[in-house]
Amino acid sequence: MTSYPILTILIFLPLAGCLCLAPVWSRRAAVRPIALGFAVAELALAGWLLVTAPGMPTAPGAPAGYFLWEDAAWIERFGIRYLLGMDGISLLMGALTAFITVVAMAVSWRAVTERTALHYFLILLMESGIMGVFLALDLVLFYLFWEVMLIPMFFLIGIWGHGRRIYSAVKFFLYTLAGSLLMLLAIIGVYLIHGDATGTYTFALPLLAKAPIAHAAAPWLFGAFLLAFAIKFPLFPVHTWLPDAHTDAPTAGSVILAALLLKTGAYGLVRFGYPLFPEAARGFTPLLSVLAVVGILYASWIAYAQEDMKRMVAYSSVGHMGFVALGIASWSPVALSGSILQMVNHGVTTGALFALVGMLDERTDTRELAAYGGVWGKAPKLAFFFLLFAMASAGLPGLNNFTGEFLILAGVFRTTPAAAAIAFIGIVLPLIYTVRLVQEVLFQTERQPLQLPDVTLREGALLAVLALIGVSIGVHPKPLLDILKVPVALLTGTAP
Amino acid sequence: MTTTELWTLIPLLILACGSVLVLMLGAIVPGRCGTAIGVAACAGTALWALLAPPQPMAPPTLGVTFTPFARFFLAFFAVTAGLSLLLAHDHAARQGLKGEEYPATVLFGAFGMGVVASAANFLTLFLGLEALTFAFYILVAYDHNRPASGEAGLKYLLMGAVSAAFVAFGIALLYGATGTLEIGRAVAASAAGGGIALAGWGLLLAGLAFKISLAPAHLWTPDIYQGGPTPVVAFLASGSKGAAIALFLLILPPLGGIGPLRAPLWGLAFLSMTVGNLAALLQPNVKRMLAYSSVAQMGYVALALLSGGRGYEAAAFYAVAYGAMGLAAFGALASLEGETPLEQVDDLRGLGYHRPFQGVVLAVAMLALAGIPPTVGFAGKFAIFFAALKGGEAPLAIIGILTAAASAYYYLRVVVNLYMKQADEAGSRQRPTVAEALSLGIAALAIIILGIWPGPLFDLAAAILL
Repeated sequence: MTSYPILTILIFLPLAGCLCLAPVWSRRAAVRPIALGFAVAELALAGWLLVTAPGMPTAPGAPAGYFLWEDAAWIERFGIRYLLGMDGISLLMGALTAFITVVAMAVSWRAVTERTALHYFLILLMESGIMGVFLALDLVLFYLFWEVMLIPMFFLIGIWGHGRRIYSAVKFFLYTLAGSLLMLLAIIGVYLIHGDATGTYTFALPLLAKAPIAHAAAPWLFGAFLLAFAIKFPLFPVHTWLPDAHTDAPTAGSVILAALLLKTGAYGLVRFGYPLFPEAARGFTPLLSVLAVVGILYASWIAYAQEDMKRMVAYSSVGHMGFVALGIASWSPVALSGSILQMVNHGVTTGALFALVGMLDERTDTRELAAYGGVWGKAPKLAFFFLLFAMASAGLPGLNNFTGEFLILAGVFRTTPAAAAIAFIGIVLPLIYTVRLVQEVLFQTERQPLQLPDVTLREGALLAVLALIGVSIGVHPKPLLDILKVPVALLTGTAP
Repeated sequence: MTTTELWTLIPLLILACGSVLVLMLGAIVPGRCGTAIGVAACAGTALWALLAPPQPMAPPTLGVTFTPFARFFLAFFAVTAGLSLLLAHDHAARQGLKGEEYPATVLFGAFGMGVVASAANFLTLFLGLEALTFAFYILVAYDHNRPASGEAGLKYLLMGAVSAAFVAFGIALLYGATGTLEIGRAVAASAAGGGIALAGWGLLLAGLAFKISLAPAHLWTPDIYQGGPTPVVAFLASGSKGAAIALFLLILPPLGGIGPLRAPLWGLAFLSMTVGNLAALLQPNVKRMLAYSSVAQMGYVALALLSGGRGYEAAAFYAVAYGAMGLAAFGALASLEGETPLEQVDDLRGLGYHRPFQGVVLAVAMLALAGIPPTVGFAGKFAIFFAALKGGEAPLAIIGILTAAASAYYYLRVVVNLYMKQADEAGSRQRPTVAEALSLGIAALAIIILGIWPGPLFDLAAAILL
């Protein structure tokens, strides 16, 4: 089975879907099934890997932990290679990507009525880009995918968004571009410094990570990587693009943004930032921890003050990602596994919350908390899912977010107890705004006579699947943790 | 004339004879064959430059050579001229510009560029430069229906004359200092030429800064780009800029380390990147905006030239990259213009949906100019910043990358107007004709393909500079 270029197929299958949309461009009825078909095929492939891959041995020619591996020359003049690899972390992220893409397509099934083909084209294009980010191991190839995934999101927000959609789209694009361009310089810097020191000029991560850079410029280079990743994360204080982008994005855009794009920042830090600059990264750990903790507390505080549901969920994202950052900063096996698990959890929970807010918005054309009330009585099924995911987001034990947060805090407590102690408050604070959200939307007496039909079959099925995943991770996270065990041990240097 | 000399001259002869032929046929049978002959001549030159077997070195008395370097740039200039001709044909008809002088002058300009790239001594170099500039004096002022075109032509003439004077005086001083006009020997000897040679280099640099429109010698650029007929601007941006880059590449690498020229070139690169990008940020006129963008883009090229070594390859690569991006951007604008020119960025509102093909080409060109992968603009910027860091120009590289981030704003403004705003009078905008679609398609494909697969062009750029 390793004879098939599975990773290449994973990356380019959605792109092939983009091309297949061209002949039926103006026929909405044909566009949606084709796009969904490709997304589902991708999900099937990723799901199959999720089931079979954990048992696979290390691929020939690959470093330990990578069970799928592809390597080909690309731009030889600069030593750039088409280097792809999949380990447990990439596998989880890839599976999440394939799953969330299907979710995003399903939630926008009816909502998008204009330029449908372009909408699905962009979602598939973005899936290709994100998948590439999670699989590329050559720094330049990674950078290429990293930028490619920006463009579709820019269009999604700018074309189908609400409110100040153009402002938000441009802000999102410029923020991320500014960070990543400095990372590009740092990538070149790594290549040159590493090459001068060792004699092998390469952009390939496994080779670069073997002889980490011990140069006076290393903190600067790491700083550039960190800035790019921190903006995507987003960490306080470079998070300001996120509430705008989320609020004005269409539902599918919000779901992908929260569930996938934010993960690329955390993934980049785990995959590239720390392994490339272990020394410099250690120097930055206090800063990263402080920013993470401040982000957790600040975001929770701000979230409480929001009147727009989507903005509230967006700020809750900043808080959740702060936990992920905190876990990464401690760089211990337990906390790191927790962080990566939390990335998946956050993708599922926040993705679901954005989908729910989108469904409410679709029905009533408003996201103001003050407009709702009494939803439990009008649309009980929708309200049930809303409550479930809100509770998951607040970290209720038995649901998925709890497992991640618990592991992170348990891990961080051993390395930096002070940070963990303050972050514990960050577990309580979300309860406050979540309770407010649930109370005002679901249980409050009806404040406006809104027409609220309950979930349709499509929506119900979608939410049920998300809920099932959420509960199953919450009750039994072991299969996912098993997948992460080896790569995390290798990353943190605790492998037997 | 020996056979060797003849073989060497053939590509230039095709262009020159093509130009004369178009002009004469235009007088006898005024019709529409000018563009066809012109495109054929360009295709012939490009094919010859790429496919002809290696020739023995022509004697220095001839003044031109047929080196791999000359071949590379000849082919590039011929292709840009051919694509510009395709763009100009229907555009000229729509704007009521008659006459075979138009294609003939484009061919003559391409001939001048070819001479620059194949020059072996400073005199032919100067003649080539003048020939191409002369062609553009005419072309920029060709639109007699619009006063702005004539005004632009006059401005270009005045600025061109000043820059030619600088270049001529610089060459004269170099000749005085070294006693030879042969480029290779003069450059080598100038190292020991003392103050006079240095003054010559300085003047040459100043003259070329005008040609390539580096700030602060860029002030003519926005007016010319705004006033000239758009297909001419496409040719000016792609071909003329390419010729100036080729000229730099002829004289800088043999110099081996630019020594005292470093400081002024550093300043030019810095100013161009910052001034160009900042001035473009709020510019409402799309052609003026692209003019400032070209100033900034040439600032990146100056950064590459400054870095030496791999920077020269990067500059050669970027000449082609910018050629494709310039043709696509200005070509798309030209193909949208009917009788009235397209002026403001706002005029592009909603055109991405009403004129999908031109909209996509323009959007791709904008993303490429902003340096977003997977486009040739990214590959080129990557090579430039690679060379800059390798050449020890880290501070300027950081400044450059920050200005590049800022520049994305105004490139996005075009994309925003194309796809995120409602059109009000899209009906008046043209659909592409076959010739325009062909030209735009080639440029856009080049942007994408060379972005995904830039390896061969990088190798070629390295090979021609050996």
